[in-house]
Amino acid sequence: MLPLIQREVVDRQHWIDEQEFLNMIALAQAAPGLIAVNSAIFIGHRLAGWRGVVATVLGAVLPSVVVILLIAVFFTRFKQMPAVEAVFKGLRPAVVALIAAAVVKMLKNV
Amino acid sequence: MLYVSLFLSFVKVGFLGFGGGMAIISLIQEEVLAHGWMSETEFVDIVAVSQMTPGPVGMNCATYVGYTATGTVFGSLLASFAVILPSLIVMLTVCAVYDRLSRRWSENRIYKAVMRLVRIAVVFLVAHAAWTLVTPATFIDRWSILIFSLALLCMLLPDMFRLAGQPRMASHPVTRLLSHPVFLMAAAALSGSLLYG
Repeated sequence: MLPLIQREVVDRQHWIDEQEFLNMIALAQAAPGLIAVNSAIFIGHRLAGWRGVVATVLGAVLPSVVVILLIAVFFTRFKQMPAVEAVFKGLRPAVVALIAAAVVKMLKNV
Repeated sequence: MLYVSLFLSFVKVGFLGFGGGMAIISLIQEEVLAHGWMSETEFVDIVAVSQMTPGPVGMNCATYVGYTATGTVFGSLLASFAVILPSLIVMLTVCAVYDRLSRRWSENRIYKAVMRLVRIAVVFLVAHAAWTLVTPATFIDRWSILIFSLALLCMLLPDMFRLAGQPRMASHPVTRLLSHPVFLMAAAALSGSLLYG
């Protein structure tokens, strides 16, 4: 996520420079909440005040909300299908592994 | 009443969510299970979909849980808004004082000590969340244990190479592919389809 944001706001649009990007990451990580959303708030505020914040936050959040809503609304109907249930039987232990891996990675940074 | 507790739960998640995506997921899990909005299995399925969908995983999860808990689009929009509300309050305050903020604020001793405590707390929180998800419903047979072990190994591969003094192997394209969450989810989905389909 962060390399993507960096490429867009630093390299392509030149909205903030490298040093300010690093400051932004430090702030976005120190503040509670999603790092992508926190970064969006910072950049929006820098560029255009509260109007900028509205624009960047909507931009950061809308794709997620729209795609997930589509999946949530339509997918619920397919969940009872045996083929879909089989896929999720394989996915569930992998999800637990992702969370367990996050624990190990965080332990290294404590 | 459901909407009020949903809103308050996700504001809480937003305020306590230090440490990125997995911390947020774990906080959402605690709220979901405490309120009995869905079972562990239903929640795990939501996390799986959130991982495979583009966008911040915490945001995907909040939107999805909001929909599943209430069954309405309004519920999902409410949860999405609630989870970013604390971010807005905190970040806008930070931005307002940013220019007056010391450039070396992050080197402050007290700040560093507090953040260390927060990080330790987050590790325990996420560990507890992961442990809660180990149930007969998520681990149905020995194949589940194999999928779990392989996925964990792949996720930690870059870190293990780095620790073993092999930075080139750690950033090798094959290692990067194997340890990518979306690749692992796709592989697990395929395994499930082949094993149980």
